[in-house]
Amino acid sequence: MTLEMFRIDDRLVHGQVVVGWGQPCALGFLVLVDDAVAQSAWEQDLYRMGVPPEMEIIFDTVVTATARLSEYRADCRTGMLITSDIDTMVRLAAALPDIRNVTVGGVHHKPGRIARARYIYLTPEEALRLQALAACGVTVVAQDVPQGAATPLDVLLRGEGPT
Amino acid sequence: MSSRNPETTLPWRVRAAILLRLFAIQGAWNYETMMGNGVAFALEPALRLLPGGHRGEPFRQAMTRHSGYFNAHPYLAAVAVGALARAELDGVPVSQIERFRVAAPGPLGSVGDRLVWAGWLPFSSCVALLAFGLGLSPGGVVLVFLGTFNLLHLGLRIWGLNAGWSQGLDVAATLANPVLRQAPAYVARATALVAGMALPVAAHGIIGPGRVLLGGVLASVATGALIVTLLHGRLEGWRLATLALAAFVLFSMVR
Amino acid sequence: MISIELVSLIPLGVLGAVLGLDAVSFPQAMLSRPIVASTLSGALIGQAGRGLVMGVALEFFALESMPFGASRYPEWGSASVVGGFLFAQAADGMAGAMTVAVLAALLTASAGGASMVLLRRANALGVRKQQAQSAQGSRNAVLALQLGGMTADLVRGGLLTFLALVVFVPLQRAVTATVTMAPTVSRAGVVAIASAVGLAAVWKVVHTTNGARWCLLGGLGVGFGIAASLQ
Repeated sequence: MTLEMFRIDDRLVHGQVVVGWGQPCALGFLVLVDDAVAQSAWEQDLYRMGVPPEMEIIFDTVVTATARLSEYRADCRTGMLITSDIDTMVRLAAALPDIRNVTVGGVHHKPGRIARARYIYLTPEEALRLQALAACGVTVVAQDVPQGAATPLDVLLRGEGPT
Repeated sequence: MSSRNPETTLPWRVRAAILLRLFAIQGAWNYETMMGNGVAFALEPALRLLPGGHRGEPFRQAMTRHSGYFNAHPYLAAVAVGALARAELDGVPVSQIERFRVAAPGPLGSVGDRLVWAGWLPFSSCVALLAFGLGLSPGGVVLVFLGTFNLLHLGLRIWGLNAGWSQGLDVAATLANPVLRQAPAYVARATALVAGMALPVAAHGIIGPGRVLLGGVLASVATGALIVTLLHGRLEGWRLATLALAAFVLFSMVR
Repeated sequence: MISIELVSLIPLGVLGAVLGLDAVSFPQAMLSRPIVASTLSGALIGQAGRGLVMGVALEFFALESMPFGASRYPEWGSASVVGGFLFAQAADGMAGAMTVAVLAALLTASAGGASMVLLRRANALGVRKQQAQSAQGSRNAVLALQLGGMTADLVRGGLLTFLALVVFVPLQRAVTATVTMAPTVSRAGVVAIASAVGLAAVWKVVHTTNGARWCLLGGLGVGFGIAASLQ
């Protein structure tokens, strides 16, 4: 086992991650990459309370995650790395070419964002950034829970994702 | 993180109104703001206590803030509603309230999903299935299920609102409660034990007279469960079951 | 004849509406779980026991569904009213009655899940329409959206139940008239499929917890012992 999943989800740690993926995939650790959360003790306390005692949660900035990725890759447990936004994942993928698969698990509504699937809303700029990520050879799919179908990026951006 | 004003109080009528509204927090659930409107709906009785009442500018600004995107476990959203009511009435800076609204939903969703949807609900179901298999009356089985499940359900809503109100935005301490941290593992073990007992007993109860089929059924169950487990992530069991049952009916019609 | 039957379905439609509302909108007290909803449906025609049997069969399937946020899941409240009624009103010993009732309930649950997605989209349209008012902190906009959403959900559950019964009651009669399956075989087939789904669902939930596998195995041993002693 190793760090297998790279997920973009603006709720970071929540039920779909901890139970939806955590139980069937037997997740042993989560790496939460967010520059703001990595500097905020009370937010870390909150997220720590959201994971079960047997699951480890690690807080990183993009810089520290980049430095420690090989350590996570060597971990014998199954792990998931989560970022709350597309930008952070794009920065990580740029620094770490061995990230080959990214799952968009949840980007929710905000003014300016357009519905692409029932759990994914993107601005035109965010859509372009995901396309750029895919152009670098990263497979980008949309999938909220394991039971849901993995929707390829081109299908998602045509607005034909899960409804 | 925040200093609570010990002078701030929440009249019991307001508290009761919030609690009642919490049962309808998902009444306008949608894919854009999710339960955001429900949070504003539940908080509204407390926000009327802001200076100027419901016609005042602080009320309007707070309602705008809280009707935006928010999603958590519906029962544990009570913790957030209590905390947000306290923060608003204490006059906590808006930036802190906004940050809390971003950070709290995930952990509250995760804790609730583990404890309730993946823990207490299947446990309550299995207890009721066992009660059925042991021959309890229909009314008794329904009462066993509703009583078991709602003991935690009602408890969480009431405790959540009170804990959120008393802790304010320092809600992490509330989530550190051993019941929330350790209980899911104990409940999972109890669910496994009761489910193991309930499945054969309830299956026996349904088949009724002519129980010579039970052995064949149990062998089919083991095989079927293995198939559903192996297919996990590709096809949900109930969808597979729909196809199997349709085939079963068609076969028995044409043979 | 048909009009009398349609009128007789109205109380079931009302029950389906209330239990469909419970699934998510209000009060989420799990009155919508099959073991409750199907029993109540059977009780409405004086057959609570048969309603409960159907509720137990459907509860095995429902063990698999977890209502996580925006994920899509079947709606069991209205579906269980349909399944419970279909099985409860079938004559005792009718060939294939349980199989057809469970199949009808599963199809209704699937349609119910789809109808919830439509409702959630309609609520989102309501949010957009009222966003201008909400942006000004309008109390009325928030209250109207909340009450409107719950009313729409109530209507959704009622309509779904009523329409499903209109479709499945005659279909059940037509199918069971041609089915030659013995009631025991019908029940055994349903139980085998339902229990397999239920067992897999429990495994999925508990297998990552230390010691839970042994608890499940131990429980199964005790369960088989009890079932054997009841023979």
